[in-house]
Amino acid sequence: MTAALEVLHASKSFPGVKALDDVSLTLQPGSIHALLGENGAGKSTLIKIVTGLHRPDAGEVRLNGQAVGFANPRQAVAAGIGAVHQERNLVTRFSIGENIMLERLGAHALSPIDYGQIHAEAAKWLALLDLYIDPRRPVSSLSVAQMQLVEIGKALALQTRVLLLDEPTASLTPNESQVLFGILRRLRDDGVAIVFVSHKLEEVFDLCDTVTVLRDGRNACSGVPLKDLDRQAVVKMMIGRDERIAKRAPRPRAETAPYLELKNVATSAGHRDISFSVRPGEIIGLYGLVGAGRSELAKAILGQIRRTGGEIRVAGKPAAIASPADALHKYGIGYVSEDRKQEGLILLHSVLGNAGITVWRRLSNALGFLRDRTIIDHTAPVLRQLEVKTPSVYQTIGNLSGGNQQKVSVAKWIAAGVKLLIIDEPTVGIDIKTKAYLHDLIHDLAEQGTAILLITSDMPEMVDVADHILVMSGFAIKGEVENDRNYERVSQAIMGFIHDNASTGAAA
Amino acid sequence: MVLIALAFAVFASALPGFTTPFSLFAIGRQIGIDTMIGLAMMAVIVTGGLDLSVGAIGVSAAMVFGWLCERLGLPLAVSIPGALLFGALLGAINGYTVVRSGVHSFIITLASMSIFFGVMIFLTKAEAFRGLPPEVAGLGRLKLGGKVSALLAVSLAACVALSVFYRFTTLGRRMLAAGANPRAAEISGVRTGRMIIACHALTGALAALAGLMVTARTGAAVPSMAGQLGQDWLLPAFLAPVLGGTLLSGGRVAVFGTLLGAAFVNVITSGLLQLRVGEFWIQACLGLILLAAVLADRGRHTILRRRGLV
Repeated sequence: MTAALEVLHASKSFPGVKALDDVSLTLQPGSIHALLGENGAGKSTLIKIVTGLHRPDAGEVRLNGQAVGFANPRQAVAAGIGAVHQERNLVTRFSIGENIMLERLGAHALSPIDYGQIHAEAAKWLALLDLYIDPRRPVSSLSVAQMQLVEIGKALALQTRVLLLDEPTASLTPNESQVLFGILRRLRDDGVAIVFVSHKLEEVFDLCDTVTVLRDGRNACSGVPLKDLDRQAVVKMMIGRDERIAKRAPRPRAETAPYLELKNVATSAGHRDISFSVRPGEIIGLYGLVGAGRSELAKAILGQIRRTGGEIRVAGKPAAIASPADALHKYGIGYVSEDRKQEGLILLHSVLGNAGITVWRRLSNALGFLRDRTIIDHTAPVLRQLEVKTPSVYQTIGNLSGGNQQKVSVAKWIAAGVKLLIIDEPTVGIDIKTKAYLHDLIHDLAEQGTAILLITSDMPEMVDVADHILVMSGFAIKGEVENDRNYERVSQAIMGFIHDNASTGAAA
Repeated sequence: MVLIALAFAVFASALPGFTTPFSLFAIGRQIGIDTMIGLAMMAVIVTGGLDLSVGAIGVSAAMVFGWLCERLGLPLAVSIPGALLFGALLGAINGYTVVRSGVHSFIITLASMSIFFGVMIFLTKAEAFRGLPPEVAGLGRLKLGGKVSALLAVSLAACVALSVFYRFTTLGRRMLAAGANPRAAEISGVRTGRMIIACHALTGALAALAGLMVTARTGAAVPSMAGQLGQDWLLPAFLAPVLGGTLLSGGRVAVFGTLLGAAFVNVITSGLLQLRVGEFWIQACLGLILLAAVLADRGRHTILRRRGLV
């Protein structure tokens, strides 16, 4: 059988780095191929070569056995290579149909658009994806999971025979992921060659047939059937050594007075009757699907979303938190955002400028003057403790790896000495090594007496790190699960609470 | 820097009159004023916004200064700070409106430019204050060390002060943080709204200072000193910081770059003037330089994006 797509001995250098070095990738039609590797291993570069964004310095790309050289992404699309990237590429104000048919709205730029036909055509693709919604609806009214499917529909509508999916489940719940996998399996059976990029190995073993692993820009393996490998072997290829499995013992519930207490809190975002408490030294997990209102609850605690009812108490006293500045300076509450690039860090500024931002006020003298030296004295121990790898504290933070950036976005709150840290999806898009490190760090912080509210949709992470888990759905807390680290029991209990009433919301 | 030296060398060799003490003094004085106008705009570009009303604020503050000195007979030690405060107040009004409305500063300051200027003309009946204390005009003529304009020295001092401000004070750092990424800064405990208002107020104060410097040069506070609606200031206001390397998208300043930018523009302008190139050609030439500088800014932005910084 001819391979649907082959990349043979491709190399690609950027100024200062060799991103790919003699890498090969072979895709068979009718198979799902996992592309694995840690951040910076070269996955994105390889995908960009296949989709025509980059040209390889050496090596070649073959489609159905014929050498091709794409000068731009349009040529790749025309040749039947479709990609769904991590970021959404939909025009949210346009209808679903318009988005799916965006490339073929009319014969030429000024020809009138036949909307009836467009939406009929789009409905066909939606049906193929089990998505029975009106293609006239604007994309902005869809859930994240539905948007993901619309993007796949858009790729399929372009006669795609090779479909690349870059972390398609990053923003999906386990259930939504399963629906997606069902659809991918069906596409596979229709003969589409699929590339699946993910950090979640459970999914990879569940879904994929063959695997290519990249490490430091080279093939650690190429096109090996997954049934010949186990998890240990794959991890070893990814990180070059054995995975350290440190299963934490369940921790006894702290007996101290709660640091943060919410009583019947309602917010303008739609939360109602939210009550829970976090004690010093305790890790409370807040599990929920995307759109359950978890990050919004964090923002409500920070004073960015208005509270319309109930009471928030900090250290036993009623608290009026009007802004994140209040939360930090008056109540010692910090928030590690799920959106590192937009909300977590100032990428344009230095490591020092980011790590020190929370302590400027405290370190400056009466006239508001402060010197770099003072900030360095205060933040350097934390940066060292977290093993942030940077040539200097003056390095622009956007130049660091994702893992190191994430460490800094936690470090700034440790430097500020917060009493309660809300951590929102700390390890999305973070490689295995740093992920394990961040879990240890959260644990150590709790051991030192910090109260922690951990928001994550990564079930293994939740079971591994949290002491006690709250389940949120539809802006309300549906239940609580004591975490005894028994994955089966805990995850089923959590999903049980969510399915009590969420069957209406998750259409996809 | 190299460009300035080059342009200077070319004009110096081509024009015998270019390096005379008087010519150098005049160029230096204009560099001083343009630097201050540029710094005023830079202070608001920090937020990723802009302020079209710098000229209107500058002239209004200068007229307030004239009114305080001449009509009320207050000493300079009172009327100068009074004028600066007035400028800061007008800037703060801009900032407050921008923050509260959420509308881009372009529209807000386009409106306030007309309002400030219109009210100023109405209140002054478009008449100048010409009976200022002699020290004012004296400052405009003052040559430090027999060569350098005192106004250039004022701008140099402002550059030093602003450099210290952005690097060594909490307020300055917060302004840069709020400008580079408002959402991240807000979550990190910076009151972003207040910072944007503060940036606009600083712009207003610096514009007022620039207005006073023009007053010192003229020896009188004249309503038309920055042209209709203060528009004559707009070109130097954007040219100096953008040439100097301040990012238009905010979050990064180049204080001394602004000085160099103003210097470059003035060496070119006065060189061309002395070559008897027509005034209109000079305007067109400055426009071209601004366009080139903006494209260079886009280029910087693209580079930053490639490195994943924006």
